[in-house]
Amino acid sequence: MSETKLSIVDLTKRYAAGLDPAVDRLNMQVEEGHLVALLGPSGCGKTTTLRMVAGLMDPTAGSIVVDGKEITHTPVNKRGMGMVFQSYALFPHMNVEQNVAFGLQMRQTPKAEQKKRVAAALDMVQLGHLGKRQTRELSGGQQQRIALARALVVEPTLLLLDEPLSNLDAKLRETMRTEIRSIQQRTRATTLFVTHDQDEALDMADRIAVMNGGLIEQFGSPTDVYERPQTHFVANFIGQANFLDVTIISETGPAPVAGEASYKVDVEGLGGFGAVGAKGLTGAHELVIRPHRLKVTLTGEGHDALKGTIERVSYTGDALSVAIAVGERSFNAQLLTTSGDLPRRGDTAYLSWAPEDAYLLPAAAPGKAS
Amino acid sequence: MTLLKTRGRSPLQAAGSGELEKATEKRNRRTYLALLIPGLLGLLVSFVFPLAYMVRMSFNKGAPDGVIEETFTFDTYLQPLTDPYYWKVTLDTFQMGVTVGLLCVLVSYPVALFLARSQSKYRGLLLAIAIAPLLTSAVVRTYGWMVILGTNGLINSSLTGMGLIDTPLKLTNNITGVTIGLVEIFMPYAILAMISGFGRLSPQLEEAAGSLGASKAKIFARVTLPLSLPGILTAFLLVFVLSISTFITPRLLGGGSVQVLATEIYDQTTGLLNWPFAAALSVILLVLFGLIIAVYQRLTRKIGG
Repeated sequence: MSETKLSIVDLTKRYAAGLDPAVDRLNMQVEEGHLVALLGPSGCGKTTTLRMVAGLMDPTAGSIVVDGKEITHTPVNKRGMGMVFQSYALFPHMNVEQNVAFGLQMRQTPKAEQKKRVAAALDMVQLGHLGKRQTRELSGGQQQRIALARALVVEPTLLLLDEPLSNLDAKLRETMRTEIRSIQQRTRATTLFVTHDQDEALDMADRIAVMNGGLIEQFGSPTDVYERPQTHFVANFIGQANFLDVTIISETGPAPVAGEASYKVDVEGLGGFGAVGAKGLTGAHELVIRPHRLKVTLTGEGHDALKGTIERVSYTGDALSVAIAVGERSFNAQLLTTSGDLPRRGDTAYLSWAPEDAYLLPAAAPGKAS
Repeated sequence: MTLLKTRGRSPLQAAGSGELEKATEKRNRRTYLALLIPGLLGLLVSFVFPLAYMVRMSFNKGAPDGVIEETFTFDTYLQPLTDPYYWKVTLDTFQMGVTVGLLCVLVSYPVALFLARSQSKYRGLLLAIAIAPLLTSAVVRTYGWMVILGTNGLINSSLTGMGLIDTPLKLTNNITGVTIGLVEIFMPYAILAMISGFGRLSPQLEEAAGSLGASKAKIFARVTLPLSLPGILTAFLLVFVLSISTFITPRLLGGGSVQVLATEIYDQTTGLLNWPFAAALSVILLVLFGLIIAVYQRLTRKIGG
């Protein structure tokens, strides 16, 4: 277990008295060398949190501790962090080298060392040949790399990235995602990464903090937040999900994952199905099933299946998305296409799932007594 | 299109080879030129002709009682170029322009910087207040300054009233008064010119500099000031040009004891009716403008590059 690099304690930001806080008693521990994604919809407080860590904004309450030292009220220029802005914020009156050297100049690093480190930083982002260029002559992706080199050359205590990929086109975004991740892993820079793109977060991060309304809904590894969402919001925001209101009939034994249990649940009076979830659940809960984990068959096989009608089919080559109506409710399922017959609108279909693919949200379903 | 037909290609193929694009470009250029005609005609009538007439006038010979002798002589230039008095007037004019330009930039910069960076909902109102003085004429504002700066004016009566001075300060009828008046009168122009020249400034750049370890003073010196230089230069040039060509304020606040090229030209034109001589002085003033603008362009290219 590595050491804690950054810990955020009860951090709160209230822009004006009477308003709901933008960040509400947020707590988070970041391990050394980790890349943590702050993920959430716009207005969830993720950028506000990043700016408070950077020192660009004063928190209303709470504290920020880096390497065991409290820095809540340390001015931005004394924090030694490297920040990459959404717009890159390269200095337009300086060339590439001067931009990268800026942080070293502020630290009064000897000239010779400056030169060496700037060259190394530019090589790291594969732009060593562009040192004398003006920043406005560079493409978006190149500017992004320069911004990254400028932030990393000072060997920052923390690397802070504010939606660094949102100004790039889709293809470049994929490339930069891999590149930022590999640079981050090579330099082992502890990184906070703000994004609203769940794919980015799942792909790049060691830990994801899913934020909503100024709070962290869940903090965990990508597989954790995807496979074992702790709230309805997390399940809904990350990936696609089918939600079912169920009542737990009985706990049937341990689950494949330690600390979890298998359950038999009643799906709205339609029959008993298997599911997994935290130990000791009873009463009404919400069940989450990812669309591609639903099994769809056109012939009724077995008895643990829901009978429905195919409402809509959408074909995308690799996959087939189908909407299936079961009584009042509609399920989304994703199937891999095969060369055989494809289901059509109006067909009868049977839905089932493996128990370990259905996850029970820990919190009791709203509006139902447990 | 004829070109395309003789070669027997469809326009589509031609477009592929870029010929159609060239043809379109040519037609567009003709359209642009046609659109310039009204403006050029207007400039020709209102600017180029009078200017040419003035230059021609400067080579005539002036005689007493406003008689103009049609001839071609350099005599009119000989006097201002040899007479130390006119050298002094020209130098004074230049010096006044520089002083007013510098002071005006100095007092306007903080205001412009504030207005450009403000995110307040009152920003629009503040901007309107900053340029509101333009609503009253320079004449009225000059008279206002005469009231404030005069021997029994606001400043002198307050200072003597408080017992800080015994004899009133001499703030009018000299270059001090003219400078104070001009600086205030041209502030709105300087503020507007600066704000429009601050395009590259952004709070993110200052934040970036801060996060890289720059103190507030360093941020200003390394980021804010260099990026606002184009605006500062434009404002300086504008105020300089306006102040060396202004006539009203030097005449009224200077009370006849401040002689600059503009007042001299006025005296020659309306007082002594020596139009050729006035024209020659005007040409000298124009050359002065030209020099400054050449320097300005060199500087902006350096900053922009």
